[in-house]
Amino acid sequence: MKVTIKSWMGVASWRWIANDENCGICRMSFESTCPECALPGDNCPLVWGVCTHCFHMHCIVKWLNLQTMNKQCPMCRQAWKFNFH
Amino acid sequence: MSKIVKLFKNNKKDKPPKAEIITEQKEPEPIPTTKCGKPLVLDNTRWEKRLQKELMSLIKEPPPGVSVDEDSVTRNLSQWKINITGFEGTLYEGENFQLLFKFNHKYPFDSPEVTFIGNNIPVHPHVYSNGHICLSILTEDWSPALSVQSVCLSIASMLSSCREKKRPPDNTLYVNTCNKNPKKTKWWYHDDSV
Repeated sequence: MKVTIKSWMGVASWRWIANDENCGICRMSFESTCPECALPGDNCPLVWGVCTHCFHMHCIVKWLNLQTMNKQCPMCRQAWKFNFH
Repeated sequence: MSKIVKLFKNNKKDKPPKAEIITEQKEPEPIPTTKCGKPLVLDNTRWEKRLQKELMSLIKEPPPGVSVDEDSVTRNLSQWKINITGFEGTLYEGENFQLLFKFNHKYPFDSPEVTFIGNNIPVHPHVYSNGHICLSILTEDWSPALSVQSVCLSIASMLSSCREKKRPPDNTLYVNTCNKNPKKTKWWYHDDSV
């Protein structure tokens, strides 16, 4: 049988590669957004610390901005430094 | 997203292909956003989801000796009462205590206010007779990675490691002069052993 394809539609899926399922701050899945965003993806990215812990960028930045003295990782209390791969 | 919607609208003039009709969806209600796409208004009800999750998991899989008084949970989840039982083999074995958790709109970025309430306030060197608890994770060592469950476990372990039932040395003075809210107290943490 010969089939002629008249049209097709490509579908792709994506996911973040993180060492955990959920953000330790908001407890939402990394595949969804932080509580203050509506659409997952590049506008609500994940970020890693040098300590290897990973959070929604908006969650960790909100936490760091609230800390006046020592800016620490919420998980391991090491000084927080962004890990730009 | 806006691009996709635009393309779709342009296509509408033509005969839309079937696949597109299936994927047609209601446009989400517009949320006021800043230039970088973050919502303009801090919507704290969205952060309540985390409290909801915590409540559900505490009800479904409570750690040993811990149980939520489900009737006490206020509708907006801002107050819960939690029962904890002294562990076997400790000075508090078989005793029942009740903790009151109060959450403000900054949770989990701000710690919950946690006090012992009811008739049985544990006699412990870090627990004042008005129910206030001297525990660093409840103030300056709070982290948003902590949770109601981890606070309960810290308090249970604080009770378990106690060797002598006694009130803090400054109990009378503190109880007579402190603020109602223990978070307003400038705690001085000096003893990590209990």
